[in-house]
Amino acid sequence: MKMFNAPVAGANYAADTKNYAWHRPPDIVNYDEAVDYLINKLKEPEQLELVFSLLKIDTQISTVVSSILMQSISRGKFSIDLGILIAGPLARYISIIADEQDIKYDMGVSDKDRISITPTTLKMALGFIDNDKESPSLEQPVETPLVSPESGLMGAPIENGEASMDEQAKMLGMIEEEEPENGLA
Amino acid sequence: MKFQDAIKKSIKSFMNGKTPEAVGEVEDEGLYHTPEYFDEMEKDILGDLKDKESVDEDV
Repeated sequence: MKMFNAPVAGANYAADTKNYAWHRPPDIVNYDEAVDYLINKLKEPEQLELVFSLLKIDTQISTVVSSILMQSISRGKFSIDLGILIAGPLARYISIIADEQDIKYDMGVSDKDRISITPTTLKMALGFIDNDKESPSLEQPVETPLVSPESGLMGAPIENGEASMDEQAKMLGMIEEEEPENGLA
Repeated sequence: MKFQDAIKKSIKSFMNGKTPEAVGEVEDEGLYHTPEYFDEMEKDILGDLKDKESVDEDV
């Protein structure tokens, strides 16, 4: 009967007992209320100091916003969906207070890391570039033959894959190894 | 899409003047925290700062 010893789906929403904050209905479900809550929270000196310190060490505003939102979501203040919706107003507010304090910042939403698509990059991706026009940097690297070690654990195997008769006899214990001269085993 | 990517996309949309339309339709009085609201706030805060700086320079 262990099969039926499990909660019904959605039971966490009706349970009286404490569970994780994000399993309960969120405290705030209104867009403007959520923005107000975060703006008021950012007015607290500790939060403000933390945000300014993060911006001064070149943290992007999008990263600061996402960490603030994650904190509130984990405490059950609002849902993940609402958190994503209010990211814009929160980032805008942080940019205003950073300007007020004359702190330089990066929003972190630019596409500078994106590789732009040009006819050349497209040809390269599809393999249409002619060999005659190919730039020296695109040349195929010359493969150097690997030199395998001759001895040791990684040594090359014997050509026919079999050990010699002496080695086989040694492995089977048919040949006794020389004992050390000082008598220590 | 990761959470961080969704946040970036949301910020970018808001900075381009877009607001969540469906949320605004649900609210009776529409959205309060719009890009225009923050533009006004910026003017108020940074405008005051510029005024103060100009007064200091005069002194």
